[in-house]
Amino acid sequence: MSRRAAISAQTLAVLAALAAEPSGWRHGYDLARETGLKSGTLYPILVRLADREIVEACWEDGEPAGRPRRHLYRLTSGGLAAAMAALAEAPAPAARTVSAGRTAPGRGAAPRRLAREGP
Amino acid sequence: MDRLTWMLARMLRDAARLLPSAQREWAEAVRAEADLVPAGWPRVGWLAGGLWLAAKEAEIMRKVVYWLGIGAVAAAAAWAVWLSWHTSPAADALTVTDRVRVLVGVAALALLPWVGRRHGWFGPVGSSIAARLVRVAGCVAACGLGAAIVRMDSQIHGGPHGPGPFSLSREIAAAVILAAGLVALRVVRARWPQVDADALWLAAGMTGVIVLVLLPAQGIATFYVAAILAATSRRSLVASGALAAGALTGLPAGLAQALAIYGLNAPDDRYAGLLIVIMMAITFLFAVPAGVAAAWLRSGNEDPAELREARIRQGLLAGSVSGAAAGLVLTDFVPIAVFMMVLGPLFGAAGGALGGAVAAYHPRKPRPARSWAAGLFVRSGS
Repeated sequence: MSRRAAISAQTLAVLAALAAEPSGWRHGYDLARETGLKSGTLYPILVRLADREIVEACWEDGEPAGRPRRHLYRLTSGGLAAAMAALAEAPAPAARTVSAGRTAPGRGAAPRRLAREGP
Repeated sequence: MDRLTWMLARMLRDAARLLPSAQREWAEAVRAEADLVPAGWPRVGWLAGGLWLAAKEAEIMRKVVYWLGIGAVAAAAAWAVWLSWHTSPAADALTVTDRVRVLVGVAALALLPWVGRRHGWFGPVGSSIAARLVRVAGCVAACGLGAAIVRMDSQIHGGPHGPGPFSLSREIAAAVILAAGLVALRVVRARWPQVDADALWLAAGMTGVIVLVLLPAQGIATFYVAAILAATSRRSLVASGALAAGALTGLPAGLAQALAIYGLNAPDDRYAGLLIVIMMAITFLFAVPAGVAAAWLRSGNEDPAELREARIRQGLLAGSVSGAAAGLVLTDFVPIAVFMMVLGPLFGAAGGALGGAVAAYHPRKPRPARSWAAGLFVRSGS
């Protein structure tokens, strides 16, 4: 049974935020502010993207004063190519939402589609 | 508010410990960044999202449902044993629910969920929601059937509507046939892997029917649980669409049959023949739309003839599921109609095959391509 691969607008928003500065490491709250996603939507997306090796994650070096170490994320080289391809193929309404830096409220089903089918 | 935030942070820390090490750092990442989030409701929402993440990654909901199911089965089994202990003889070849057979039945039902978690014909469960729901609901209905039979036997105990005389030789013969069938299937698949899988499944189905006819009621319940586990496992030939279509049509079919029996109930059984015909007709008629739906839901890029054949096969399987579900639901309400658990899948398969054939030769018109955006379907061209 063939199914068309599709990526949710929320995932596209995360990919767009990470692709805007591909070499830099971003932390979760930073991404949440930029995409407008809640933690319960953002982190499952990051987990799936990391499982598929689209995103790499690591803990901040050293022990920063006065705050805990942050978990940081950036696109892998393969992930960057996949993100650019996905963003180029995004349908117009989704692309508009992504370019506006905001997404509709998250729904669990859409990120799962990426985990099953890939970008 | 501070107390709520502190509580959620503690809960998230504890929930992170439930996760496998690979996923634990994600929950810890959410907690580590909570200090960046403005205090008050935004921070509470952030931590609640972390808890949701931990629940998803640890599959807590699935585990809760699983253990609730285990608890329900254990409670039903304990009740059946307790009832049989107080109302049934220790061993009596003329009753279906003497203590020995109840204990054997309960042990078999307790063993099957364990078998269902192992990799093989019975497990693990398929990834679709339909497979999970059908597995849980089917096992609950089968356990309900066991309880209904125990209760009926304790009340009427060999009366004119009882489960009938019991033959030990017949039970042994059925068990031997079942074991021989399973061994033969394994031997054939091991020695001749090129043998047509459809022929093997047909042989297995025929063996199953023979066993169902020979086995007593609690054997049928045990066999049904095994069939439910096999049909909903990852290796099952029954597609999730066929499972859903079969279950959704089988449930109302079983209820309609139960209503027909209650509606036409007469003290002298003068409508018994008519009732059986009505039940067969209901099973067949409800299985037809199940077959149509299952065939339409089966898509693919194969050769048209192969695709048509695959659609008819899914229709047949959906009809069987529908007939089996109807028989199970009916027997839960009217245990005397246990024969419908044998005949239901057969008439259902016939109706499903008819529906599948009709749908295979009249496929749906393709709908416009759509994609997901903002959680809603939107047309690609829009």
